[in-house]
Amino acid sequence: MTMETNDDQDIERALHAYGERIRFRQQLAQVHAGLNMEAMREEAGVYREETVRPGRIRTFWQTYRTTLAVAASVAVLTTFSTIFLYRQYQQSHQQQQQYSLLRRDIQAIKSSQKQLLNDITGRSRALSVNPGQVAGTGFLLTADGYFVTSNHIVQEADSIYVQSQKGEVYKARVVHSDQAHDLAILQLGDDSAFRPQPTIPYSFDGKSSELGERVFTLGYPREEIVYGEGYLSSGTGYRGDTVAYQVAISVNPGNSGGPLLDERGNVIGIISAKQTTSEGVSFAVKTNYLFKALENIPADSLKGIPLNLNRKNTLVHLPRKQQIKRMQSYVYQVKVFKHEK
Amino acid sequence: MRRSSGGVLLTDDELLIGLASGSDAVLTQLYRRYFPMVLHFVTSNSGSEDDAKDIYQEVLVVLYEKVTNGSLELNCQLKTYLYSVGRRLWLKQLAQRNRHFINDTEAVVAVDDDLTDHEERNRQFDLMADSLERLGEPCRTLLEDFYTRHLSMQDITEKFGYTNADNAKTQKYKCLQRLKRLFFSEYKQ
Repeated sequence: MTMETNDDQDIERALHAYGERIRFRQQLAQVHAGLNMEAMREEAGVYREETVRPGRIRTFWQTYRTTLAVAASVAVLTTFSTIFLYRQYQQSHQQQQQYSLLRRDIQAIKSSQKQLLNDITGRSRALSVNPGQVAGTGFLLTADGYFVTSNHIVQEADSIYVQSQKGEVYKARVVHSDQAHDLAILQLGDDSAFRPQPTIPYSFDGKSSELGERVFTLGYPREEIVYGEGYLSSGTGYRGDTVAYQVAISVNPGNSGGPLLDERGNVIGIISAKQTTSEGVSFAVKTNYLFKALENIPADSLKGIPLNLNRKNTLVHLPRKQQIKRMQSYVYQVKVFKHEK
Repeated sequence: MRRSSGGVLLTDDELLIGLASGSDAVLTQLYRRYFPMVLHFVTSNSGSEDDAKDIYQEVLVVLYEKVTNGSLELNCQLKTYLYSVGRRLWLKQLAQRNRHFINDTEAVVAVDDDLTDHEERNRQFDLMADSLERLGEPCRTLLEDFYTRHLSMQDITEKFGYTNADNAKTQKYKCLQRLKRLFFSEYKQ
């Protein structure tokens, strides 16, 4: 079978590469052992005399520019957060019937829920048996397990689990919830170590995106990851809400918390809701408010692990299929368990 | 540029070609030429000499693997590239130790893609080491002898006391199949 032969070649290639790495490491160790360390130290001292080049300031500025910009906007945000809260209140009370949050409510089997909460080792098995009560989508902010989803999915949760497309399951802890903007920041691997991913391929763009911008999303309206594409149809959300974009994209319950990306693979928003009275009218919270939410996290909620967003986008020049392929392992299904009321 | 040992001072291109060919002399020259730069960088940013050695060797592994698989795109001096890779690796270490880096002595170029590839390879090699471990004996030693120590099938036949080389080949094939299953059950791309 061709498949079999390919696998054989792959494993042989991997073994060769592995052997080559070991050989090279040994060669390096040998060279190092033959060094005159005194001479090396002396030469290192020469660098000490060198003056710092003017280029340095620019590098520093580029690296920290986004952080500085976000920091500068914090003061403004504090003033306006009450207004946002008020808007939220207005919307939720007057127009509830036309505006639907995209979480997926699932009938939970009460008896097995208790088992699940105690079952840590057989977790993925337990999860597939018991689907939880609410499901949505979320995605990684950092390769080491910081994560964002919609606040309406995880609010009042007893426990939160996320499941990758490959089937890895992690328990998650809420680090910060931003009710006004419907965002929740989680940390994966609350009880067991999160297996860090390679560097995140997408970056985050808080600038206002243009109308007509082609966009796409990945999410879990069902147990499988589902791709959807559309375009940005308005710079404001439901009833002129400036926190969100209106997007012409087909999304369903379960898509909440999923990333909204532009063609270059920048995250420009987080899917949150849709208008029930017309088809294809969906809303996504702007990435700028994600930045603001991150800035508002109290330092001690992070338990000493810094949350630095990826700024380098490696999806830019890839065709869509490749972009999706590379993104998939960073978009998770979120499953939430709550007590019956 | 100071010369740290006798012999001709090679250009960047010559260093890379020699490195790809596995030359001891060229690797030694390359190693000596830029180690002081990394040594200074790491030790003046809260690292030890041992940290500097580890970082530098990791940098050279990145360079070596990119050169040998033909994926190195050098748009700057070799020195700048090595510095940038070392800087990124050390920043990551510092972040894990909750410290922050301060002093640059060289210009920096973007190397994120290179390091993403490198991390992926690290993951793959860790998994390979782990799979070989779980494979048990004699399969593990047999495969390591053949693929990483480059013993011939004849050497392996004698070492393991197989009756003939064909028999050894059959064993090697079976071991490879088992390793394949172990490896790919974990490694999904």
